[in-house]
Amino acid sequence: MAFDLTVKYAGEGGEGVISAGDFTMRAASNLGYEVVTFKSFPAEIKGGYALSQVRMSDEKILSQGDGFDILVAFNGEAYEVNKPLLGKGKVLIWDGPEGGDFEPDLEELEKMGVFVYAVPMSKLAKEEVGAYITKNVIAMASVFELFGFPMEVLKQEIVKKFSKKGEDVVNLNFKAIEVAQNYIKEHIKKIDPYKVPGPLPKKDVIILEGNEAIALGAAVAGVKVFAAYPITPATTVGNYLSPIILKTGGFVYQSEDEISSMAVVIGASFAGAKAMTATSGPGISLMQELIGLASMTELPAVIVDVQRAGPSTGMPTKHEQADLFAAALGGHGDDQRVVIAPKNVEENFYLTIEAFNLAEKYQLPVIMLTDGSLSLRAEAIPTPNIKKIKENLIERPVIRKGEVKPEEIENLFRYAVTETGISPVFVPGESPKPYTATGLEHAENSRPRTTPDERVKMMNKRFKKIANIEEENPHLVEWDLGDLQEGDKADIAVVSWGLSASITQEAVKRLREKGYKIAALYPKLLYPVPKNALEKLASMADKILVPEASYLGHFARFIKMFTNIPQEKIVQFNIYRGEPFIPKEIEEKILELLGEKVSA
Amino acid sequence: MEYIRLQEKLPPKEYRSDIEPTWCPGCGDFGVVTALTKAFSEEKLDPTAITMTSGIGCSSRLPLWMNAFGVHTAHGRALPAAVGIRLAKPETPTIVTAGDGDIFSIGMEHFPHTARKNFDITLVVMDNRMYALTKNQTSPTSRHGYKGSLNPYGNIEDPFNVIKFAIASGATFVAQSYSGNPKHLAETIQAAVEHKGFAFVNVLSPCPTFNKIDTFKYYKGRLIDINKELGHDPSDMKAALELASHALDADFPELEDAEPFKGKRPIGIFYKVEKETFEERVANLQEKFRPESGEPDWDEILAKYRP
Repeated sequence: MAFDLTVKYAGEGGEGVISAGDFTMRAASNLGYEVVTFKSFPAEIKGGYALSQVRMSDEKILSQGDGFDILVAFNGEAYEVNKPLLGKGKVLIWDGPEGGDFEPDLEELEKMGVFVYAVPMSKLAKEEVGAYITKNVIAMASVFELFGFPMEVLKQEIVKKFSKKGEDVVNLNFKAIEVAQNYIKEHIKKIDPYKVPGPLPKKDVIILEGNEAIALGAAVAGVKVFAAYPITPATTVGNYLSPIILKTGGFVYQSEDEISSMAVVIGASFAGAKAMTATSGPGISLMQELIGLASMTELPAVIVDVQRAGPSTGMPTKHEQADLFAAALGGHGDDQRVVIAPKNVEENFYLTIEAFNLAEKYQLPVIMLTDGSLSLRAEAIPTPNIKKIKENLIERPVIRKGEVKPEEIENLFRYAVTETGISPVFVPGESPKPYTATGLEHAENSRPRTTPDERVKMMNKRFKKIANIEEENPHLVEWDLGDLQEGDKADIAVVSWGLSASITQEAVKRLREKGYKIAALYPKLLYPVPKNALEKLASMADKILVPEASYLGHFARFIKMFTNIPQEKIVQFNIYRGEPFIPKEIEEKILELLGEKVSA
Repeated sequence: MEYIRLQEKLPPKEYRSDIEPTWCPGCGDFGVVTALTKAFSEEKLDPTAITMTSGIGCSSRLPLWMNAFGVHTAHGRALPAAVGIRLAKPETPTIVTAGDGDIFSIGMEHFPHTARKNFDITLVVMDNRMYALTKNQTSPTSRHGYKGSLNPYGNIEDPFNVIKFAIASGATFVAQSYSGNPKHLAETIQAAVEHKGFAFVNVLSPCPTFNKIDTFKYYKGRLIDINKELGHDPSDMKAALELASHALDADFPELEDAEPFKGKRPIGIFYKVEKETFEERVANLQEKFRPESGEPDWDEILAKYRP
């Protein structure tokens, strides 16, 4: 059995809950463990319930998991919220027996089989350390002491983070560690079975949060203009990119609104630069008209939508995947867009690069859908080979001065109809022939034109570009068949995208271990809908489960709309509570569909 | 950031594309095309390195008539599209051509920001004081009482003083000209293109089809050159603002004899100041962070993310 441990810090926003999780994650990664975090906090700056969960394992971690093994409750609210999740074999560390704001029902917890440790975090921080602000360090150090993390690793992390703030700050944190260690040694008798087995061989990894991975991916892809307007939970993409992009001769531009961001992206792309924006639902709504302009003028553009719970302002810090319709079909008229979605932090990095490659190749807007939970999720991923990635980047086919004979220029058209629909690109200052990119319907030579023949010809040309996008990019569909071969009969099929896919993947793995035959597909390409793969999958099972974190289940409906799969085969599983799935509920849903009794 | 320029002057007609304008005969905007081609010629600009943007409306078709790179964007979005070009290709002079409805109504949130940030953009607004392509509606610059199709009883709003607004927004070059005065227009547009920074030229440009009030006939004898006739010094912001506040006096009969314009419309350069452009500030930042080798040290960048 693999080592698999989840620690959850929960409390009031602003008390250091999030950074406690962050330190623990870094320490675990430092010890050579795989890590995945899950964080959630309110939209307000201070106060409200916040949580930070760290899952660590000696094996590849697929999702945030079902819950926690160890809960550190900073206050009464954190205890109350998580009480239903406490059960046999779980550990509770609470702020007591004195100095905290609550008292758990110790007798009841004991009856349930919960291992309970009282550590007076607030009191120790105030009285022994002399600084309430160190409460989260006491909490972390207690976890380290109780479960066998080397305290040296925590100290290293503290030096890394606080040495800039001066020796006094570092020493204060060290004192908090000592106070916690002494308290645990003197007052707590360990009764639970959890223990970190010890350091593993160091891996060549980097730790990235979801939005950091997007920023880094964009920088590696060669983004030159990033234009955005602040919006939760997308803002941090620009924050992370801002210092890096300057080193590459680019710029992060804060625009006056999202409409402007998209227009800046179009202008920059017209001028030959790789350009992108990052936004969330409300921003995507505002950008629709201009996404259509990018499509009509065939200008590459990358738009990242870090989805949040909508509609309207909705729940800005909460999880949902309900922008797929808007991303794919939100514009007026028949435009050409590509919508892709990564399922974890590593894919955030690689798919951002892919987004640029697709935009450059097909000369159109590419929208990448991520979400708030993924934006905050941290993962240790194998260090990418930047050189290799850079060698394989796709650039648009710019016609440069001197590359064509003067007599050929006359018949060279920006929107020339070709076999693939993809035309040569002219760029100001580089190409020999100017043109005006217009949102009006236009002829091959870019002149406005509205005759029926011309209209049909140009519409067909633009759609031809993406007609075979699935076949041309088989890597944008991930098959997860276990021991099955394509075409074999499975007990059930599952399709899942975005963060939900990483959670589905874990559920599928567990069921396979129990002997079930499951055929799963995790499309990164969502639109145009990868029809062939989906139909192939459908041929393998009687039912296809599509778990999605939205009321309507956008992708399930796309499958019904754009494939020949019989509607009755598709089973939607929709949640819209503002949190991601947990693997267990998908596991149970599959068992339910298979007519199996769900074990308690 | 130096513009890409030609060694030798091209004749103005070389800056016209072979597309014939779809404008009505007698449209004031023809004068702007002529003035632009003259200015481009005088400035020795390279047609393959001029960038233009526009929005939607009669006047916004202008880039299509030019032998230059252009983006005919969506309604109101000419300025931010131009910003994108400025960030990506600052060596191409960028000219925005649009109408009063496009810039001052649907695109209004972009105007003050692009101006105050001082992007090196020349904005030429062809101000016919109404919407023409949609067949006669009032725009923010329409006169009080003007009859549009949505308010046939007459406009109940007062016109918007775009000159005063431009100066207040931080534009570093603010001028008004008239499409019926080719010499003044060409000189003003050339001065605007030459200006490093955000240059706004409001061109009084009659619509002969719909606007029967602000006509060539109306403007005849009703213009006053603030620089030549009133000796206005464009470097004096206070004086510029004072003059600008009277820019619309001629709309109101009760101000027929009011100083300083006495019932006339002002043309000329109201305000001009040298200020670092946004592009120069970006270039300074990039210079500061530029790696010595030219290529960023990815190992160093990645090191930040190691556990």
